[in-house]
Amino acid sequence: MKVLAILLQTLLLLALAPLVSGCIKNWKAKLQNRRGPRPWQVYFDIAKFLRKDMVISEHASWIFSFAPYVVFLTALLAGLMVPMINTPAPLSLFGGVLAVVGLLALGRFFLALAGLDPASAFGGMGSSREMTISAIAEPAMMLAIFTVAITAGSTDLSQIAQSTQSATWKLLNPAHVLAFAALFIVLLAETGRIPVDNPATHLELTMVHEAMLLEYSGRYLAFMEWGAAIKQLVLMTLLLNVFFPVGLAGPGDGAAALGISLLAYLGKLLALSSAVVVVETTNAKLRLFRVPDLLSAAFVLATLALLSSFLFQ
Amino acid sequence: MNPIQPELASQLITLLAAGMLVIQLLMVVQAMLLTNIRLFAIQSLLLAGIAAVMAYNHNASHVYMIAVLTIIGKVIFLPWLLNRLVQRIQIHQEIEPLLNAPTSMLICGGLTLLGYVVARPFTSLDRLGNNTLAIALTLLLTGFFLMINRRKALTQVLALLTVENGVMLAAVALTSYGMPMVVELGIFFDVLVAVMVLGILVYRIRENFDSMDTSKLNQLKG
Repeated sequence: MKVLAILLQTLLLLALAPLVSGCIKNWKAKLQNRRGPRPWQVYFDIAKFLRKDMVISEHASWIFSFAPYVVFLTALLAGLMVPMINTPAPLSLFGGVLAVVGLLALGRFFLALAGLDPASAFGGMGSSREMTISAIAEPAMMLAIFTVAITAGSTDLSQIAQSTQSATWKLLNPAHVLAFAALFIVLLAETGRIPVDNPATHLELTMVHEAMLLEYSGRYLAFMEWGAAIKQLVLMTLLLNVFFPVGLAGPGDGAAALGISLLAYLGKLLALSSAVVVVETTNAKLRLFRVPDLLSAAFVLATLALLSSFLFQ
Repeated sequence: MNPIQPELASQLITLLAAGMLVIQLLMVVQAMLLTNIRLFAIQSLLLAGIAAVMAYNHNASHVYMIAVLTIIGKVIFLPWLLNRLVQRIQIHQEIEPLLNAPTSMLICGGLTLLGYVVARPFTSLDRLGNNTLAIALTLLLTGFFLMINRRKALTQVLALLTVENGVMLAAVALTSYGMPMVVELGIFFDVLVAVMVLGILVYRIRENFDSMDTSKLNQLKG
């Protein structure tokens, strides 16, 4: 049963992540009066990358070929610890949500190393920027999640999701609204969305994520892109199922409940993706030195959320 | 004749009020003037939502009027007027605050806490949306801070409008049947006229001083 749940969620993560990226790309194009790539184009891209040969710089060390697997697997492992369509999540390590954040940080660490490793100018620039941004984004994320964890009395994500479903929980608590706003800004920053980074461009002087991937090709690039898509899905799931656990199936529910839960999850995912698309279309990319301003806003929002959850016990 | 439960209505009001607070804090860091105006419009829309929930729950028809007037005046008319003003005087789009964004954000965080602490003795009152007094106070305080922190006359007008939103929130959410119609209408037209007059004033300042920087007004000749 446990193995089945792990298998199911892994498949769901692998299959759904490229689709979410593709849908966001497609809708963004539609909203800007362009035709845009088909939503499932990302699958074809990944399949093509997997078939192609790799060109690896002769200066690159083992880190360069090791990093894609770390990025891919940490994202996947973090995804298994977040309840997607049923609680409890298939996997739970010590610390719950702390382990999720830690795994994602490990992936990011190797991504930044991989950007530095081939010693290209752009890669190092991308790594430095990524680390600058994450230094502020990560504390904001932790504080926002702690707000919910304090109200739920546990840092275990499955327990948080379960207690958010119980009757005594105040869903529309102001602390949670603040935490949600903070986490949404962090989501935009962590997935390289427009006010922080532009996911649609290569070879732009301001790129962050793409700059680190510049030296990658073939199979490694496929794993990097796929890993990034999975990380995005994991963060979105975290946001959805912690703050809006509507329709989430419980421990002993049958197949019908799981089906309803899957539908509810897809619906919520659709709504969140649309919100991301709207934000990306209506905002201009921030200058790099303005990004800390936005993220410090997220940080203060998260701090206020945490403090006000103490003030209104 | 209470179609929705008071519990749900109370939560809805608190949620909308928290949304207003989030938007206020976003306005503090947002550097573009036009986006600031758009944020103000959204904040006013949330205020109208609170008034509508209040009216629905208390069956008070004149509170509906407030909601409608807020939508017409603050969501549609005033943003339109300010947008037109921005285009007519062709000012530099970026707001240049005195303090940088992280510092002002931290100060506003402190002001929010102050608002919460001051309003705390009142939160135990058994009434709809009992957290809203804290948020109204916070809107007031951060609105004043925005006004002090910004140099240009037009952005100060915008800050004044958010202060007014805070006052309106307190008026709508704390008096269980809203204030008398006449008072509401009075406040409403007051703001409307004030913004129009200020708009003309901003235009004149700009004409005479070639700048909207109000700190230059203490010079005799621009």
